[in-house]
Amino acid sequence: MTIPPKAPNALLHGTLDALILKTLTRGPCHGYAVARLIEETSGEAVIVEEGSLYPALYRLERRGWVEAVWGTSELGRRAKLYSLTDAGRKQLVTEMAIWRRFATGVSRVLLST
Amino acid sequence: MKRSLRSWLWEIPIDQEVDEELSLHAELRTRELVARGLDPQTARDQAIRRMGDLARLKRTMADLGRKRDREMRVTRWIEELRDDLRFAFRQLRNSPAFAVVAVLTLALGIGANSAIFALVDATLLRPLPFGQPDRLVALWETSAKSSRGFASPVNMTDWAARGRSFVAIAGFAPGVGGMVMAGADGNAETVSRQWVSANIFDVLGVKPIAGRTFSAEDDVKRANVIVMSEAFWRSRYNADPAVVGRQIRFDGALWTIVGIVPGSFRLLGQTSIWAMRPSLNLPPNMRGAYLWQAVGRMKPGVSLEAAQADVAMVADSLGREFPQTNRGRSVTLEPLHDSMVGTDLRVTSMLFLGVVGFVLLLCCANVANLLLARANVRLRELAIRSALGAGRRRIVRQLITESLVLSLIGGAVGCAVGAAILSIAPSLIPQGLLPATVTLSFNLRIIGFCAVAAVLVGLLFGVMPAWKATDFSSAAVISSDSRTIAAGSGRLRGLLVVGQVATAVLLLFGAGLLLRTLVAVEAFDRGYRAGSVLSMLVDPLGSKYPTPESLQQFFDQVEREIATIPSVAGSAYASDLPLDFFDAAAFSYEIAGDPPEGETQRPTTAYQVVSTTYFSTLDLPIVAGRGFDQHDARDSVPVCIVNEAFARSLHGRSPIGQRLVLRPASSPQGRPVVREIVGVARQIKGRPDETKDFVQVYVPMAQNLSDDIFLVVRPKSGSAEALTPAVRAAISRVDTEQLVSIRDINTLEDIARTATARHRFRAVIVGAFAALALALAMVGVFGILAYSVQQRVRDFGVRRALGATTREVIRLVIANAARTIGAGVVIGLGLSAISGRLIETMLFGVRPLDVATFAFVTMVLGFTAALSVAGPAWRAARIDPATALRKS
Repeated sequence: MTIPPKAPNALLHGTLDALILKTLTRGPCHGYAVARLIEETSGEAVIVEEGSLYPALYRLERRGWVEAVWGTSELGRRAKLYSLTDAGRKQLVTEMAIWRRFATGVSRVLLST
Repeated sequence: MKRSLRSWLWEIPIDQEVDEELSLHAELRTRELVARGLDPQTARDQAIRRMGDLARLKRTMADLGRKRDREMRVTRWIEELRDDLRFAFRQLRNSPAFAVVAVLTLALGIGANSAIFALVDATLLRPLPFGQPDRLVALWETSAKSSRGFASPVNMTDWAARGRSFVAIAGFAPGVGGMVMAGADGNAETVSRQWVSANIFDVLGVKPIAGRTFSAEDDVKRANVIVMSEAFWRSRYNADPAVVGRQIRFDGALWTIVGIVPGSFRLLGQTSIWAMRPSLNLPPNMRGAYLWQAVGRMKPGVSLEAAQADVAMVADSLGREFPQTNRGRSVTLEPLHDSMVGTDLRVTSMLFLGVVGFVLLLCCANVANLLLARANVRLRELAIRSALGAGRRRIVRQLITESLVLSLIGGAVGCAVGAAILSIAPSLIPQGLLPATVTLSFNLRIIGFCAVAAVLVGLLFGVMPAWKATDFSSAAVISSDSRTIAAGSGRLRGLLVVGQVATAVLLLFGAGLLLRTLVAVEAFDRGYRAGSVLSMLVDPLGSKYPTPESLQQFFDQVEREIATIPSVAGSAYASDLPLDFFDAAAFSYEIAGDPPEGETQRPTTAYQVVSTTYFSTLDLPIVAGRGFDQHDARDSVPVCIVNEAFARSLHGRSPIGQRLVLRPASSPQGRPVVREIVGVARQIKGRPDETKDFVQVYVPMAQNLSDDIFLVVRPKSGSAEALTPAVRAAISRVDTEQLVSIRDINTLEDIARTATARHRFRAVIVGAFAALALALAMVGVFGILAYSVQQRVRDFGVRRALGATTREVIRLVIANAARTIGAGVVIGLGLSAISGRLIETMLFGVRPLDVATFAFVTMVLGFTAALSVAGPAWRAARIDPATALRKS
């Protein structure tokens, strides 16, 4: 799934949130790492644009689903490391349920014979 | 320990945060692309291009970041507050003795303040319970004699009609009288009644709860109409709505009840009914009848000054038109609120507020003192928290939260204390001090006051100890013992105690002056020698006794009946009673044969109508000439008796045989009565705190009969009050139809006590608060001494070991105490000397710089100080050097 450069719809927004939350279950990481992990895991099928990623991270932080601390990056530079909060973990469960229902629904429509 | 990015320890500006995050991202992306084989320049360009509109992205992120920070600050603040509160409650639970003492001290201070606030609120702050009260003014008719006279109904109507400033002007009788109401059950009862003009309810903006109020039509028709108070309607008629429109016989005539007005409405007096007196189309001679206390409602937009100028102009033209009655008369306006709440009450309220405010400060000082002492104990705890990374502001905030928890609990308990005080207040406050429009009640405003006071007080006593407590180097505290560090706060506590002693001295001094005033007004010579005398107002119905002869006959008959009561020593009639609101300028007089004086220059005198037995009944000696006897009848030579002040005013001439030309002050143009002076009576007091003997003329009752008069009865022995039923029975034997109103049953002692009531009230309240202040200050002195002895146990131990005697150790403690107390006393006396003048108007028989009071205060203070020093000194004397040194 390549996010179209323009007009990201609400569904995709929600999906990006779920992707970020899911990625952070692996442990704290900075924004670039989140993007790379999503890209790698999806087999480069999902390309996360910076223009969406960072606002999403800030929004998640504001809602208390992720938490940021200053840590050190692999370059030895100061980096903001995001990690999942308890509230974020709960939110992920909800998002996954929504996605599951959505995906099943879409599949039924598209793959029906 | 959870540490948020936004922690105040490490706050990075949001723009920098965004920049760093994005530049790291670009850097990492570039590296990735280089690793994939792009050349660095292309990789870098591509990485940046991927970010799209960089400026917009940064703006979006910074925006979101700022919102996030704001929310997180609030959340963190709430979390910290919750932690602090939990910690504060734990702290208080851990030291219940401290908590209880502090809360009670604060509750006492805040409670007392809330009660006084209720008084101040009711008298000074709260508007009158009328519609748009700021438009209401009192109108006083002024003359050369009086600057606050009552208004004549005709003048009043003209002021409103000819002037342009008033919507309307109404009047009410300044006093409350009684009417005899014939009950359905045949029993007559006296109902309190206030005369009012028809438009009074409209002017004050009072709506009836049933029926209507008076109309102009009632006025023109001279209708007998009354409006009933809600309280009377409920208690006497069980709130029966059918009462409206009913006719009731009052004083023998039929009156129609036209409406009921709510209980919140009160005029100057507390009364059951308001009866209408006409004020329209009155005969011109009513221009000289000064009956009404006038109240006007100013038109919107008219200022008090404009209205004053307008109505004064009307009064001027009336003076030219009716020189007979109106020459030299004008009008003064005053906001109605000011005229209802007199200066005396205003000043008393402010005095109490000041005093009780000082008491609250003392309470604060005591609690601050306790907190400072505790701070020393908690030094180690605070130092450890500080070493663990809590900043000073964080710790101060935590300590202030503790103070606020204390003060809010204190405020809540204080609210209850205030409610309790207010529930018993009505029995403490002397009658007549508060106008009827003022009611003291516990309400939301008082709860609000307690809350605000609690917060202010919590900050007041909390901030300084908290700041002081955190003023340390944690390394020094943890590594050393706390003795040396405590020294600084000891000095602060010493200063607090000096302030407390000074305040207590100031309040004691004020109480002392008021007490001396009370003694002075109570110890005066009343003039008459009779001890216990019963008095009551006898008011026979005019239509039953239409002629002076029949009236006189009635009074004589009553007197004869009373004489048959075995325990009665004597009885008499009098128009006024000693100490009971004498009008010291009721009549003007001239001495016949002396050069005549201008109307405004004539001297004035009190005028008292008495029966022949008055002087013997009250045991009031005639010092020269003779008393009245039965020969001073209605048609014999008019005579009078003067008092000693009058006699002195003649400068050596003998008053006996002089002839006085007497005119009522209310109608100076009226026909004068010439009376021959036949005797001089001993001086009595008109008011307990009068500074000049008042001038008095006695007139025999037979020669000046009025239809209501006080009956005074002296018992042979015992209490006069016990005579009441027998005397009333005697009157009933004469008044078989029960058409006589008997009211104001009293004893002369009670009247004297009432006359001094406000002095007593002030002295008692200020005295009580001063005692409280003294106790608080002494607790403070005791606290700091006990603490310093405890701190210096080792010091004393060393001294003892080196050979100091018990006496020397005690002297050391006392010297320490004496310095603190002495400084407090000196400052307090200095303040007293300065502020004594502030209460000068309340003093009588004592000067603001009264040496005896200074001495008294110093003595009381010395004595109580000795008590509070004894304990710590005793403890210091008993220190055993061996134990003291071993302990450390």
